[in-house]
Amino acid sequence: MPAKTHLYDFHVQKGHMTEFAGFHMPLWYEGIVSECKAVRNSVGLFDTSHMGRAVITGSDTTAFLNYVTTNDVASLEPGRGHYSVMCNEEGGIIDDIIVNKLADEEYLVVFNAGNRKKDLSWFRKNAERFNVKIRDVSDEVSMFAVQGPNAQSVLQQMCSDDLSSIPRFGGRSVELDGIKATVTRTGYTGEDGFEVFTWDSPVERPSRAVKMWEAILDHGRDFHIKPCGLGARDVLRLEAGMCLYGHDINESTTPLQAKLGFVVKLTKGEFIGRGALAKEKVEGPRSVRVGLRLLEAGIPRPGCDILKDSHVVGKVTSGTFSPTIGQGIAMGYVPREYSKIGEIMSISIRGKSLQATVTGFPFYDRSKYGWQRT
Amino acid sequence: MKVNDYEVPEGLYYTKEHEWVKLEGSNCRIGVTDYAQKSLHEVVFVDLPKVGTKINRSQTLGSVESVKAVADVFAPVSGEVIEANTKLADSPELVNQQPYGDGWIAIVKPSNLEPELKDLMDSKSYADFLRTQLK
Repeated sequence: MPAKTHLYDFHVQKGHMTEFAGFHMPLWYEGIVSECKAVRNSVGLFDTSHMGRAVITGSDTTAFLNYVTTNDVASLEPGRGHYSVMCNEEGGIIDDIIVNKLADEEYLVVFNAGNRKKDLSWFRKNAERFNVKIRDVSDEVSMFAVQGPNAQSVLQQMCSDDLSSIPRFGGRSVELDGIKATVTRTGYTGEDGFEVFTWDSPVERPSRAVKMWEAILDHGRDFHIKPCGLGARDVLRLEAGMCLYGHDINESTTPLQAKLGFVVKLTKGEFIGRGALAKEKVEGPRSVRVGLRLLEAGIPRPGCDILKDSHVVGKVTSGTFSPTIGQGIAMGYVPREYSKIGEIMSISIRGKSLQATVTGFPFYDRSKYGWQRT
Repeated sequence: MKVNDYEVPEGLYYTKEHEWVKLEGSNCRIGVTDYAQKSLHEVVFVDLPKVGTKINRSQTLGSVESVKAVADVFAPVSGEVIEANTKLADSPELVNQQPYGDGWIAIVKPSNLEPELKDLMDSKSYADFLRTQLK
């Protein structure tokens, strides 16, 4: 039986349901296209309580997290966080995660729903020589994402702290409409926005989480806020060029191949996978993740072959129609010599070979969409 | 005729894959049913057949796609494609708005119509079929 989040009743009543990573989740409510547009143009609300969350405390927490993840945890100040990955000894990605430093010896780590068990056992297995306490709070804390250019305006109405002072990947404890929560300026859409963690809201007693959800929808009404499902979430992250674990990255891809080298800090000291990654960095990865934008009408799907001069050189790992740019877009791995921006490739879609060009991320115009928009 | 929320116009022929056929003189206009478009929800792309293509019954004529899903459009009859609805290139949403009207997919000049027509459902049979599908 798939698991339920706090918002299950709302989802079933208002949404089209799907099963994802062992959870009953909404695929869409009004429609994927209109939900994507709400997030790009104003604001949308996602239930992301299926994600894994762990609070890690203890005197060795920084050293421990620095050992199991590739980014430099020691560089984080309290109230700051970063994107990171955990690798195995071969440099393969066990999961991509967000590490939030709540206080000096207290971190909130957020990981993928489908990797809940795997990540927790990886943490525990590697924690033996560290003085740390790992607490799985996935089912005790609800998690929502408020995303879009108006996300801050919506939450600010519920809160007396100045949210504009929270930088990207920063976070703090606040009260939203009187409910205790931690907000972080993070998300999976490319837009400005926050992830809202409501403490003391176990799945079995969801009233506080439901109250938070309804309060956000209420305060967002003037901004035409829309509840958004996993369909829009997947399209938005792909438009932003973000990886989906299990599709674009897995245990046989490394962060260097995935173009996530910016989270690999080889000089920070020993960490799991460092040897393999250092070697790969010198040699250069053989194949790398690229963005592909179709130059003809069509929609690339995961599994489609990527061709160069009629030879199969790679496979699409994620593909969709982008409502924001009105074209088919994809991600996939190709040999490094074909990874230059502007390289012309083709994608084989249902028996037809369609032209595509290698593009950078995000796929949309950064001056018009996304958190850096002008 | 209506089955739940789904329109099933009379006078058309239907397939179990939710295509419809309308006889127009000696030609067949082909599209997807209201049930098909509602199941896909927002149609964002229609892959149209090339005019002149000769197809056998049950071969893929094209596809109708939403952001997340692809539905093949199978040829309900054998013949030659003599027209494709090029309006759908810019306005795929017509499939949602008027599945039996401006959202048609193609016109086929049938080569074996009489026996093949017997294998298609009339509106009453399709409505019954849809009811069993919805159970």
